Amino acid sequence: MNQESSLDRIRHSIVMGHVDENDEGFDGTMEGEPGTVDLVREALDVDVNPQEILNIFNESMEEVGKLFESGKYLLPDMLASAECVGNAMDILEPHLVGKQENQKGKFLIATVKGDLHDIGKNIVSTILKGAGYQVKDLGIDVSVNDIVAAVKEFKPDFLGLSALLTTTMTEMEAVIKKLKEAGINDVKVLIGGAPTSEEFALKIGADGYCRDALHAVAKLEQMQDALSGR
Amino acid sequence: MKLKHQPLEMMTTKEKERIHASSCFVLDQAGLRVKNARIIDALVACGAIYENGRISVPQSMVENALESVPGTIRFRAPDPDRSFTVDAAGKDVFLGTGGQALYVLRSNRGVWTRQPAGCRDLEEIVSLCQRLSKVDFITRPMECDVALDRMDEEKARIFASNTTKPMNLANLIDPGKLSKVIEIVGDPAYLSFIVCLVTSPLAVDDTAADKLLAISGQGIPVCISSCSQAGTTAPLSEVGEMIQLNAEVLFGIVLVQAVNPGAPVLYRGIPITADLLSDGSPRWCQPESIRRVALAAEMCRYYGVPCCGTAGVSDEPVPSVQAVSEKAVSLTYQVAAGAQYINSAFGMLDRIMSVAPEQYVIDNMIAALVESELGKAQAFDERGVADAAVAAAKEAMVRLGVEVDELMDRELRSRVAFVNTRKEEYSKESMDSQQTFICSAVESPSSSLVFMKGARKGLRAGWLYIGKRIEAPLDISGLESKQELA
Ligand code: B12
Repeated sequence: MNQESSLDRIRHSIVMGHVDENDEGFDGTMEGEPGTVDLVREALDVDVNPQEILNIFNESMEEVGKLFESGKYLLPDMLASAECVGNAMDILEPHLVGKQENQKGKFLIATVKGDLHDIGKNIVSTILKGAGYQVKDLGIDVSVNDIVAAVKEFKPDFLGLSALLTTTMTEMEAVIKKLKEAGINDVKVLIGGAPTSEEFALKIGADGYCRDALHAVAKLEQMQDALSGR
Repeated sequence: MKLKHQPLEMMTTKEKERIHASSCFVLDQAGLRVKNARIIDALVACGAIYENGRISVPQSMVENALESVPGTIRFRAPDPDRSFTVDAAGKDVFLGTGGQALYVLRSNRGVWTRQPAGCRDLEEIVSLCQRLSKVDFITRPMECDVALDRMDEEKARIFASNTTKPMNLANLIDPGKLSKVIEIVGDPAYLSFIVCLVTSPLAVDDTAADKLLAISGQGIPVCISSCSQAGTTAPLSEVGEMIQLNAEVLFGIVLVQAVNPGAPVLYRGIPITADLLSDGSPRWCQPESIRRVALAAEMCRYYGVPCCGTAGVSDEPVPSVQAVSEKAVSLTYQVAAGAQYINSAFGMLDRIMSVAPEQYVIDNMIAALVESELGKAQAFDERGVADAAVAAAKEAMVRLGVEVDELMDRELRSRVAFVNTRKEEYSKESMDSQQTFICSAVESPSSSLVFMKGARKGLRAGWLYIGKRIEAPLDISGLESKQELA
């Protein structure tokens, strides 16, 4: 198979949100067919350029973004596509050493201690993976110490904290304080969840508040632009 | 309120037996994720199996627990005339408030603003509900804005000084404070609570479990709650969501009966949907959710366990005619489905995030209309209940100054038709496939993504209702109990 058709198949698979063979795809017809991860593996086996594959990921997600904006795609469709990219990225990453110009950075995310709400956090983490971030998700009910330890180990560019309860949102402030105490100043902290707000972010010294996942993508782009002086 | 007929049934007995069997399968095969050692020990001692962080409950334990649940519960009140008995087999229905609002909506010449809710608002709402004629019991509508270690006492104090109706304090923050709370309200018999024991899908909230045992250990009635959202924390399929939700609530009943046999519990299942048409927020008051919450009440009736229902949590951000229409339909179905003790029936808006004092007054009127329209029904079959729901909604709108037109009527009809219509097979095959799906989803670290991806087919098949908002100006100047707003 030539490089072009291999890339086309990957693109189609991502746009259809076909993660693996167990998955039905956008139109419910794709169960049993090789999924995005299989296609990426195949492409790498026949020496398709990893950078080209990465470009296809970005192009496909742009197309999906447009379909979502136009209302043709719904949240689960977009998430499925984002998951395709996220999972395929894990396979592609080791092949990209030294060629990182298209990568967006590392994002660590967690729901804070005492809080078990994870629907929103999962959406954010999947969408960010789809947008090209290397995401590590610590799950729910994560203590300040565990978050700070994970920051030290994973060295993310961004830390995302989620809280849905007025009783747990205070944990966010504790995380930021502890990061400062540990001398970690180079990670940007984004927060989200129903009781939080721009105002609250400002108050606790977070770098930003996000209404939803797409807002997070936009905010991160802004921050990247500011960082690189674009 | 008293039901005139046998409650609405939208499932056959055979179908309910199938749901029960599938829920038992899920409890046995997938079990629940739990870390709390006390719970693990208690359940293992009764025959459950703990492996790899999950506890599997055999069907025999479920059957035993259902045998030992009391069928009636007495809710006492400081004013003895306000006490009542919930009878799982009876026809009496009691309505109350609910929620844990983050905000109170205040109106200034028709413009609503959202303000963070706190103690003052709690006092205001509890005393307002004390005066409203249709409010039989009061569930705390918001938490106090005091330090966590003072919250339980503060809340108890506000209830004790502002109401003589039965008090449901909902969330107990610290089980160690229970005796103090009892002392403040004067008698444990005035109290009840809600415990949200399970994080769907099938994971125990370990701290909630301690609260549950502390409360039921005192013989205080507790509503065992699970609120799944089809498409994010449960399968989008109605059949799948019913199987999972029922398993989650049954687990709570098993736990309480294992530790405190004979303790009074209410089955509180809230199988709503997630708004996968937009951002994944909960859809509380849309037709498919109204249908599912009615099915949960029906399941509960089938078991003969006292039922804590949920109705009237509008998805509208502020009081509106649309909110009125959602609430009237939702309450009519929940009452007709036979839930005996109905939470959140007053005041709630904004997908359970906000309350408005004015809304309590509006909802008091809606409750009266629902009672009167259901009273006119010849039977609580699908047709009778649909007609009552539409009539109650229309009359409520008229009383709020709306000229109900043909389009509005058509929209209401289309909603109740959706509530009445089954979109899926309740066959053995369909149950098997859903129970397998649930068992595989709980193994994923992001089960919400598994459910969302699995929702694509159902979304395309129209399982979430898409209708029109009912738009008209809302005029509350003619409301009878408006003076209660003082
Ligand atoms: C679903 C839900 C649950 C489920 C959670 C299931 C799960 N797996 O997550 C269950 C039933 C288990 C649950 C339990 C409880 N809940 Co709850 N829950 C909700 C509910 C209805 C919806 C939340 C949700 O999922 N929304 C949909 C998602 C998509 O939106 P989202 O979470 O806001 O996320 C988006 C944005 O906020 C943003 N975002 C979120 N996080 C982040 C992070 C970053 C980094 C970024 C960039 C963006 C971002 O992007 C997301 C995607 O768009 C809310 C009410 C509501 N309407 O929000 C109550 C609510 C949050 N719960 C509440 C309560 C009280 C509880 C309980 C205490 C109940 C009880 N009485 O026992 C327990 C607490 C458990 C615990 N310790 O955490 C209250 C909180 C009130 C308060 N004063 O704090 C609320 C507001 C409901 C209410 N009014 O009563 N709950």
